[in-house]
Amino acid sequence: MAAPGTPAAPRGAPGLYVHVPFCSAICPYCDFAVQVGNDVKARQLVDGLCREIETVAEPWRLLVAGPSTAAPFDSLYFGGGTPSFLGTDGLGRILDHLRQHLPVDDDARLFFEANPEDVTPRSLAAWRHLGVDTLSLGVQSFDDATLAFLGRRHRAEDAHQAVAMARQAGFCTLSIDLMYGLPGQSEDSWRRTLEQATALQPDHLSCYELEIHRRTTFGKRYAKGQLHPMPDDQQADLFVTTHRWLEDNGYLGYEISNFARSPRHRSRHNRKYWDHTPYLGIGPSAHSFAGNRRWWNEPSFATWKRHLDQGNSAKAGEEILQPHDLTLERLMLALRTRRGIDLQEIRETYGCDLMQLNAERIEHYVTAGLLRHEEACLRPTLQGWIVADSLAAGLSVQG
Amino acid sequence: MEHIRNFCIIAHIDHGKSTLADRLIQHCGGVEERAFRDQILDSMDIERERGITIKSNTITLPYTAKNGKTYELNLIDTPGHVDFSHEVRRSLMSCEGALLLVDASQGVEAQTVANLYLALEYDLEIIPVINKVDLPSADPDRVREEIDSDLGLDPFAAVLCSAKTGLGVDDVLEAIVEHLPPPKGDANAPTQALVFDAQYDIYRGVVMLCRVKEGFLRKGQELLLMHTQKTYHIEELGLLRLQRMPQKELGPGSVGYVICGVKSVRDITIGDTLTLVDNPAPKPLPGYKEAKPVVFSSMYPMASDDYGDLVKALDKLALNDAALTYEKDSSAALGFGFRCGFLGLLHLEVVQERLEREYDLSLLLSAPSVSYKVNLKTGEQVEIDNPMYFPDPTEIESTEEPYIKASILIPERYIGAMMELCRERRGENTVFRYLTRERVDLTSEMPLAEVLFDFYDRLKTLTQGYGSFDYEITDYRISDLVKVDILVNGEPVDALSQLAHRDRARPRALHYCEKLAETIPKQQFKIAIQGVIGGKVIARSTINAFRKDVTAKCYGGDITRKRKLIEKQKEGKKRMKMVGAVEIPQTAFIAVLKSDSGK
Ligand SMILES: Nc1nc2c(ncn2[C@@H]2O[C@H](COP(=O)(O)OP(=O)(O)OP(=O)(O)O)[C@@H](O)[C@H]2O)c(=O)[nH]1
Ligand code: SF4
Ligand SMILES: [Mg+2]
Repeated sequence: MAAPGTPAAPRGAPGLYVHVPFCSAICPYCDFAVQVGNDVKARQLVDGLCREIETVAEPWRLLVAGPSTAAPFDSLYFGGGTPSFLGTDGLGRILDHLRQHLPVDDDARLFFEANPEDVTPRSLAAWRHLGVDTLSLGVQSFDDATLAFLGRRHRAEDAHQAVAMARQAGFCTLSIDLMYGLPGQSEDSWRRTLEQATALQPDHLSCYELEIHRRTTFGKRYAKGQLHPMPDDQQADLFVTTHRWLEDNGYLGYEISNFARSPRHRSRHNRKYWDHTPYLGIGPSAHSFAGNRRWWNEPSFATWKRHLDQGNSAKAGEEILQPHDLTLERLMLALRTRRGIDLQEIRETYGCDLMQLNAERIEHYVTAGLLRHEEACLRPTLQGWIVADSLAAGLSVQG
Repeated sequence: MEHIRNFCIIAHIDHGKSTLADRLIQHCGGVEERAFRDQILDSMDIERERGITIKSNTITLPYTAKNGKTYELNLIDTPGHVDFSHEVRRSLMSCEGALLLVDASQGVEAQTVANLYLALEYDLEIIPVINKVDLPSADPDRVREEIDSDLGLDPFAAVLCSAKTGLGVDDVLEAIVEHLPPPKGDANAPTQALVFDAQYDIYRGVVMLCRVKEGFLRKGQELLLMHTQKTYHIEELGLLRLQRMPQKELGPGSVGYVICGVKSVRDITIGDTLTLVDNPAPKPLPGYKEAKPVVFSSMYPMASDDYGDLVKALDKLALNDAALTYEKDSSAALGFGFRCGFLGLLHLEVVQERLEREYDLSLLLSAPSVSYKVNLKTGEQVEIDNPMYFPDPTEIESTEEPYIKASILIPERYIGAMMELCRERRGENTVFRYLTRERVDLTSEMPLAEVLFDFYDRLKTLTQGYGSFDYEITDYRISDLVKVDILVNGEPVDALSQLAHRDRARPRALHYCEKLAETIPKQQFKIAIQGVIGGKVIARSTINAFRKDVTAKCYGGDITRKRKLIEKQKEGKKRMKMVGAVEIPQTAFIAVLKSDSGK
């Protein structure tokens, strides 16, 4: 058994994340660290990323492996933003650099996010050629009015074509991202989007509820009373509809927002965030984690770049997680997954006897139909999922 | 002994007792000018803040009368509020006379009458004093009439004064030496001294205040407390000035203090007789029955970690407050606490405030209750002041609740309104008699539980401040009592249970349910709040579940931000009490229990 609360032995191969902080325009709801990009910035980014890879390689090796050889990365994820800003050359350069400086598994999965308007037979071929296995397309909706409302740069027709083309290009996993719970959205309208999405037979779907963040355009419109978010109750209803409908149509929700046609299409990369597998993030604002340490990069592209230009680290902050922090994180993330909390894992890896600490509380959650206690796991029900955060907040992790 | 006068100042609340005491003290040079402050005898913070007297205070003053002789005046200032009438009673025991103050504009009020009767019970000589004659609304002639008709005292013996301006204070002093008798007592008889009060001094322990009836008390003597049969060594004795003034001895008729190494006021009994081990008195002086608590409530610390502090604080406070009773109690919802007995609601408030202020505690009090009698089918009778111990209804033959006789003095134009209020409060045999043409004395037999809460406020409002009220507990009467429980999702919240008359149960329960529904935040599931008697639901309310509490996306690896949000939620939960699966914030208990008196 590991020391309580210290998942010392990495529970699998680490993952690598590359953040591309550029988009062709900024969507009115977006609160990621992104800005409008151009070719010049894109070149600077590629240079910066290469330099960062060189800078972090040794510290990473020391941190995760100590004197022994570090376990190789088995997932490489390019997200953002819009990773296609890297260009085919840029992507190739970075991949080469990664393989040169960091241990990368030969079978590592390559994940790539793209927007429908970037999808052309040429770009698809290039991505396939560079080894992209999983392509996630930011479709968001199959309704033109909705797409316009969301400030997206493509139309429903583009999305259809993009998905169809990508399907043919032969990625191992083709995923599409959708958005729901929009102001005034009817259940019917959302259902039509779901129907069209599943008709295209992607392997994976991510369905996110729209959240209004304060500093975004939507946030400002909301503050002025010009935008009326969908009430929580209705969002909750749509959440249930989404899970039921997708399950009936062959896509099982394995996490609150993620659905897969079969277990092998579940995201190998995202899982690492959920169970404290080490991950290394490069690029502005990227987060990294190993052991009991989490650190993050400068969120601003300019600052991130300046640090690297000056030969410094781009790290902006770090925290050492206490055993109870780790346990709480694990619980809160596990409650977002279908599998739920594995009691034995929590006991053995985190040194926390959850049942003993929370016997009564858990019983009430079960009685209230929020959790199911089965196979030594605490599984959230659909109703439980909708209030997963409060379930986690209700559990004691230390005596 | 000829030159000693022992007297107390008694009156209805706020008629100016403490202010008159100030003037008498100043007139006799009992305090240096710069050390003086208003109501100087009211030394507790809470007394000063609320402008009321809670504890009787004794002071000895030298007074040189117009006849040239110097007298030793032992003055006792008493509280006016009903809750503290036991303090008045004690004070009366050590006096030969009393100044009965009447506010020149308010006239005779209920406690004026009540205190007069008390004084007569102890055979005291009474001097009526009409105070506040400086007020523009003062009407001494009318008040004289009331002294005659309501009190049956000689209106022409009344001294007019203003404790505020000092007018007539000489006359009051002269009347004291002229009209009040000196104490009687045999200097050669075996020592007998009455313990009429006690204070607690953190350095010296208990300071007994006593009135020597016969013989002498001297420093170094071996004392016997006749009631407890305990012996002590007199360490110090003396007169009570603003500070204690040690003396060699206290002779017959004098009032003073004795320190003899007693640790807690609980080790002695007020009303006990002091005598000497060497030459004991044949029998004790007539005793005094300690006031019994009438209102009970459980006290819990807001933070359960503070329980230890509450224990310490109560033990300390009790050293000084013999009327307060307390015993360990525990509630499933609120944890460990104490079941406390009080003399009335003001006493309860005072205790709570002193604990919170002097001991820096934050407290939660359960709904106050009176003490009921329950006759069991077995023939046994049990007293119940805590709803938690109310027997199962199937075991109960009958229940009884304490009744009082209320005496309400009001201008006659309010008769209708007051009769109605008494009826509303289950008053029986409500009758009135005219004292004068405009004033009536209305009496009614009512359950104690009905007058404890807002009765006085309602009375004041209905009579635009002209009514006053006094009561004494008379007997227990058969009454249809039920225990009302509050269930939150089926789990009883023991701290909210209460005993009530069946007719009162529903509105009370409904009020609780509604208040809780307003103050308990939405949770992951629907919450049903019910008021029940036995298994029967008599009131209900519901709190709908909140539907959503999860963020759709966990951005990349930024788990830290999300964990912080959940930690914040967790932090909030710490201030909640769990009842079953439902989290009840302390604010909900406070809201329910605070507003309780209104129903
Ligand atoms: N105008 C006027 N006001 C007075 C006089 N005597 C007292 N007061 C005021 O009446 C109020 C009550 O005076 P206290 O001396 O505290 O009355 P009390 O009888 O000791 O009150 P309790 O101890 O609470 O029963 C205070 O505001 C005094 O200032 C007086 O002769 N004239
Ligand atoms: S495409 Fe995605 S990352 Fe870019 S602005 Fe829109 S929401 Fe943000
Ligand atoms: Mg006073």
